[in-house]
Amino acid sequence: MRKLVFITILMISANLFAQSPMSDQEATTLKTLVKTRAATTKTISSDFTQYKHLDFLDNDVITKGQLAFKSPNLIKWSYIDPFKYSVIFKNETLYINDEGNKSNVDIGSNKMFKQLNKLIINSVKGDMFDDEAFSIEYFKNDYSNLVHFTSKDKNLSKYISAFHITFNTEGDVEQVKMIEPSGDYTKIIFSNRVLNNPIDDAIFSN
Amino acid sequence: MMRFFLISCFLLIFSCGSYPKKEGFQLDNTSQTTLVNPYFSNSEIDYVYKSKIEIYDNQFGGLLIIKKISDHNHRVAFTTEMGNKLFDFSFTENDFKVNYIVDDFDKGLLIKILKQDFKTLITESLITESQYQNDKVDVYETVLYNKKHFYFYDSHELVKINRVKGTKEKVSFIFSNINDSIADKIVIEHYNIKLKITLKSIN
Repeated sequence: MRKLVFITILMISANLFAQSPMSDQEATTLKTLVKTRAATTKTISSDFTQYKHLDFLDNDVITKGQLAFKSPNLIKWSYIDPFKYSVIFKNETLYINDEGNKSNVDIGSNKMFKQLNKLIINSVKGDMFDDEAFSIEYFKNDYSNLVHFTSKDKNLSKYISAFHITFNTEGDVEQVKMIEPSGDYTKIIFSNRVLNNPIDDAIFSN
Repeated sequence: MMRFFLISCFLLIFSCGSYPKKEGFQLDNTSQTTLVNPYFSNSEIDYVYKSKIEIYDNQFGGLLIIKKISDHNHRVAFTTEMGNKLFDFSFTENDFKVNYIVDDFDKGLLIKILKQDFKTLITESLITESQYQNDKVDVYETVLYNKKHFYFYDSHELVKINRVKGTKEKVSFIFSNINDSIADKIVIEHYNIKLKITLKSIN
């Protein structure tokens, strides 16, 4: 009897979060909403929790920090727990502060890195609706929308085969999951997201 | 000719010596024992280390992740802080497999160096060939992938492994801040190439 109750609860909760495909109209509505939102987003500041999933581990490696974004292309990821590490994407350079040790990495000559950098910025805003680069699938449940962006680019697919982005009903990014060809993934969940509050440029210097 | 041969032998004996002799270790003629390295031996633990790799004038960081899958079977993976996987290796007793490696790291010599270093790090038990005493430290000589290794135990705690060729140390593995069979800090230092790997546990 107890088993039956458990299975019923499991089925109800699975249903609650089940994603069903969107209609074309729903997909167009979401796309327009996200694109409008992205175009009017001047700044984002948010907390984040990152889960690195490797199939052979018992638990995901969890790191936490804060994100700052300023339009069009300044972005800073600051990891706070369990170590202090920050990386600023600015022009064609990565500015790294690793527990006080500062270094720069020039990514100008690395086409792959430049492409990833652009994708990271786009994924923070959610605006990755590029049909030439991705095949795109839309899903929904009562609480959120999920879009699968599967890479068509052979070089990119060697690193990341797909981005799965979850949007809330306002069109803000709640979660980004970057899936590697092996099935391992990095999942980033955003919380306390604040849009368009002024962010000082000084934050983006090392 | 014979005289030349004898002189050569004589010179050879005196010029070579041995690493234990050079370091002043006293030979201890007890029976063969089994060495134990406990630091990556618990299959219930996901070992995660914040890592710094200094190679010539380059430096980069990331997370080194080690997991004992079963007896004589470990996975060793390295990711950037942001989660990008740089390499993922499988070690079994007599085999080694590259599951994944980014193009920039896919170089034979680099893979060989990493393979040997990680093999030393995760090998749990070895039969000793000789045993020495040096001050308060017990020193054991053994062979791993056909290379001579010396294991240093201070109060029965593994504190150092030296890979040695002739009388020279080639690589040192130094374990410190040891708690419950976890070495919170590990430094791997190469002496014949400019390579230093510093690991700090974030478990």
